[in-house]
Amino acid sequence: MRIFNRIVIILLLAGLFVLGVLAVLYSVGVAGYRLAELPLDTFSQNLIRAVRNIETGNLHVLDVGGLVIIALLGLVLLVFELKPPAPRRVRMQQGTYITRRAVENEAIEAVEQSPEVLQSSVNVKAQRKPGAKVNVKASIRPGEDVGSTRSRVQDRVQRRLSQVGVPISNLKVRLVESDPRETRTRVR
Amino acid sequence: MVDDLQLARSVSEAVLAIGGVHSLGTGRYAEAATYGAGEKVSGVVVNPREVRVHIVVSYPLVEPIPALAERIRQQVASRTEGRPTTVVVEDLVEVEQGENL
Repeated sequence: MRIFNRIVIILLLAGLFVLGVLAVLYSVGVAGYRLAELPLDTFSQNLIRAVRNIETGNLHVLDVGGLVIIALLGLVLLVFELKPPAPRRVRMQQGTYITRRAVENEAIEAVEQSPEVLQSSVNVKAQRKPGAKVNVKASIRPGEDVGSTRSRVQDRVQRRLSQVGVPISNLKVRLVESDPRETRTRVR
Repeated sequence: MVDDLQLARSVSEAVLAIGGVHSLGTGRYAEAATYGAGEKVSGVVVNPREVRVHIVVSYPLVEPIPALAERIRQQVASRTEGRPTTVVVEDLVEVEQGENL
């Protein structure tokens, strides 16, 4: 979200810069730009009318919709900005951390011990409380028993990470049927 | 009072002597090190608030990582001048049986 906010601010500042340059061009009157040619009268009249409509409560449905959308967007951006960022490392206990990459490597090793798994990818999110959210995506051959494979993979990951000492707050395993010719491992 | 570089060096030696610690980590996005004149100690970050030790742990584990971290804290406690020690596990490296001892 910080990246999104940064992009919004960059676009806003870029827009302000362009407007500033145009304002200078129009006020100085270079390259055929003349302040008198700007349709400022129409713009200000429309703005005054819109503000007057808001004051008197005489609004069109589309105007109300637009204002509500702007308010909601502002609220969402504010909430995301106020939300503290997720920590970079997984907290194991007070003063002990493990990098997300190390947890990912351990989880991948545990997942790929299952002979049914052809390839896998793991995404680890650190939480503010001790522990991590672990999302595993594993490819299996078409026709494999999805239910039992999922519970086996889940069990292996849980066992390996608890052996290491990483608390897991949420472990999700998603199995995808894939053609073995398109995966890293064809035969186990 | 010892300077930061001396402290980092002494912590580094103490940590590397602990069984189960394969090596010291170097940080991922920013280098984890303590800098001095023409010298640096990688894997130990000393600042006024804490001493942070970045380690690479040997696998199979001698003990669970929280217990290893506790042992590191006890080992370096006398050298950190009262500053809390944070342990960051950067990786686990598989080692041959016997190499870990």
